[in-house]
Amino acid sequence: MAIWLDVARVAAGVNILLLLGLSYVWVRNYAEFRSKHTLALMLFGLLLLVENAVALYVFSLDPILSAWISSSDPIAQWAMMVLRLLEFGALAIMAWATWD
Amino acid sequence: MEGVLWYVLTGTRGGGNRVRIMKAIDERPRNANKLAESLDLDYTTVRHHLDVLQDNDIVEKKGGDYGAIYIPSNRVRTHWDVVEQIMEQVE
Repeated sequence: MAIWLDVARVAAGVNILLLLGLSYVWVRNYAEFRSKHTLALMLFGLLLLVENAVALYVFSLDPILSAWISSSDPIAQWAMMVLRLLEFGALAIMAWATWD
Repeated sequence: MEGVLWYVLTGTRGGGNRVRIMKAIDERPRNANKLAESLDLDYTTVRHHLDVLQDNDIVEKKGGDYGAIYIPSNRVRTHWDVVEQIMEQVE
């Protein structure tokens, strides 16, 4: 049992928190401005929120998939972690520019 | 510039207040104090928004440090149609 999978789970959880914050701002702005741009940002945030929720579900809750991932080669778990961490970096930068 | 305008004015947490500031200084250029008064916002909030707007070359500062007034930048003037489109949505 490698630590990579745990890091991937935590990263998915943190991504969800960041996306809740971003979506809060973008939903509010859409309600105020009703423009194509604000609609796009809102949908972008909400879709990535779902994406991370699905990831967390697959990594931790789904009985078949989480067992399969836990028993997979550590290199595969490491790759999944890298994807989550890169997304975390992207979202953290976005939150930094948006929470302003 | 148009992408910056959309993001700074409608993509961020303080977007709505920044649009109100743009509207106010378009009507009549004024200093941070007067802006805070007429928009009923905290002085430090207004200062922060003005810094962001200045950072993105959306407003320009005229006059000395204390009591300097703010005006829409030349750059934003050439894209004023976008600003108007955004302002229409704010009361």
